[in-house]
Amino acid sequence: MSSAAVAADPAIELTGLRKVYTKGRKETVAVAGLDLRVERGEVFGLLGPNGAGKTTTVEICEGITVPDGGEVRVLGRQWGGAADYEIRQRIGVCLQETRFQERATVREVLELFAAVFPNGRSVDEAIKLVSLEEKADARTKGLSGGQRQRLAVATALLGSPELLFLDEPTTGLDPQSRRQLWDVVRDYQDGGGTAVLTTHYMDEAEQLCDRVSIVDAGKVIALGTPAELIHSLGAEHFVEVDVDGFAGKVTEVELRALPTVQKCEFADRRAVLTVGSVHTAVIAMERLLSARGVALEGLATRHATLEDVFVHLTGRHLRDEEGKQ
Amino acid sequence: MNARVIAAVARSTFREFWRAPEAVFWTYGFPLLMMIGLGLAFQPRDYEPVPIAVVEGEVGEPLVELLSRDEQLDVKVLTATEADRALVRGRVGLLVRGTIAAPLLRADPLSPDARLARLYIERALQVRQAGEDVAIAVAAEDRPGSRYIDFLVGGLIGLNVMGACMWGIGFNLVMMRTQNLLRRLFVTPIRRSDFLIGYVIGRGVLVIPEAVVIAMLGNLLWGVPFRGSWLAFVVVVMVGGFTFTGLGCLCASRVRTYEGIAGLMNLCQLPMWVLGGALFSNEDFTGVMRWVTEVLPLTHLCRALRNVMLEPGGFVDVAGPLLGLGAFAAVCFGLALALFRWN
Repeated sequence: MSSAAVAADPAIELTGLRKVYTKGRKETVAVAGLDLRVERGEVFGLLGPNGAGKTTTVEICEGITVPDGGEVRVLGRQWGGAADYEIRQRIGVCLQETRFQERATVREVLELFAAVFPNGRSVDEAIKLVSLEEKADARTKGLSGGQRQRLAVATALLGSPELLFLDEPTTGLDPQSRRQLWDVVRDYQDGGGTAVLTTHYMDEAEQLCDRVSIVDAGKVIALGTPAELIHSLGAEHFVEVDVDGFAGKVTEVELRALPTVQKCEFADRRAVLTVGSVHTAVIAMERLLSARGVALEGLATRHATLEDVFVHLTGRHLRDEEGKQ
Repeated sequence: MNARVIAAVARSTFREFWRAPEAVFWTYGFPLLMMIGLGLAFQPRDYEPVPIAVVEGEVGEPLVELLSRDEQLDVKVLTATEADRALVRGRVGLLVRGTIAAPLLRADPLSPDARLARLYIERALQVRQAGEDVAIAVAAEDRPGSRYIDFLVGGLIGLNVMGACMWGIGFNLVMMRTQNLLRRLFVTPIRRSDFLIGYVIGRGVLVIPEAVVIAMLGNLLWGVPFRGSWLAFVVVVMVGGFTFTGLGCLCASRVRTYEGIAGLMNLCQLPMWVLGGALFSNEDFTGVMRWVTEVLPLTHLCRALRNVMLEPGGFVDVAGPLLGLGAFAAVCFGLALALFRWN
């Protein structure tokens, strides 16, 4: 295969992917006919609540889990037989949680992984990529959560991978550590790499991903750039206000009739309006309320997020799902 | 086979073990202390007289006097109740009732102490009747090489190789699996065989100096001889170590919990502690038991170790046991490689 042909292959191509887990008599469908295509050079996000099938999908791509049906192509190759060794040389993996040998130093952990990739980066280079120079000779036991996660990413980058998998890379990290990790991923992408990450943090997907797919119950329910998905809501802003004084004076129907308002819902003593233009809608609402002698209280406005896209598509919150797990 | 990967895995495994002082102590320091303790307990010494009880008042004075004169018997004159209790608790091997004309001996016929005491009593009575004793000169067997301590040191080395290799390999492998570290290694282009070989070397390499130290200490403290080839000794320990690491890998190839691995390890090791010929000889077993002991790898390891230490054994002499161990190791590693799960 010529190098031009190799480069033309998408990084990942999944067609009709299926995976069912059986425990006793109970069958759980983790992935239910999922199609996906990740292009070279992009940072692609798989978004969804816990149990949506993100990790299973990623583990199938990584060759850890064998699917029950469908086709998987990673860097143009299919898992199985001699291809396994080749694919593993070309990908980097950061699992959801790995505890490295706790009495080994950062440098020693990387030396072990470096031995497996003879043509990869040097250990020093990998340490520099994730800014762990100061901790290079510290044992992994004493590292913070963020430092440990950066070490995990460094082991994944040692082989100079064409494709990098990051499964929930910033779960449980503080904001500063999260930003440091995002920088590492951006630098990797600037160097020509392709990354696939799973997350249930909407801000992470918006900040980091060129494209995202929202996964629910083992299927892709939305796909596009974060901006496209938010735009698909039809209105990109939300206006919220207290409804305690509205009784008998202002109705939901009247609020929905205000200019640029697309949707209005009353919930938890708050009215949530989906609007195209914040200032037009707020001025009109203020006029309506003062005409009826009702005070405007608890006004808040915010920009739509991918979370709203998820709520719009499924009627559920990402976090609710997480809480139930 | 990738030497670079094997070396890296071995180095990393060894370092992780060496930096855990408690692991090093329980794997290598403790067996050393155990061998010193057992060595002290089983030092060669003169036989002590066999304790027997005579029932006060019931047994006539002439019989008590006759038995008390015998140097091989330690006669305790007790009340009937005390005598029964002493017999039950094992403080005496045998209970004497009756008279010198019609003595009655009470004892468990299976107890070696009782058999011995009975023989001494019979002899004392016969000598009294015949009027003369035949003097038999007894020389204590204390030449190095034939004592229990000589037998024991070889067995302890065998037990130590088994324990260190199986626990060291199996437990840690399960730990790496629960920590996701095995899974993380699996997604790199590493071969199972390279990983396992490096891992076994890293975890098992200390078994050799440990065995040498035990053999040297035995020699220094109790004069346990070393008559064969040191090189053959090291090779025997290496092959034995390889066999038991193989068994450890097999036990840990799929297990996911510490309880699971501990149970499996005990299941494998307990029959060998009892029947493997480490603490007492299994060479005189017959029938089915003979077959059982011949299947246990510890039997072959102990046999080869004693051959090299106590007889002037070289490679030719231990070829048989080494072949047996090698075959066992090959089966274990073959199965371990086939069954091994990274996840």
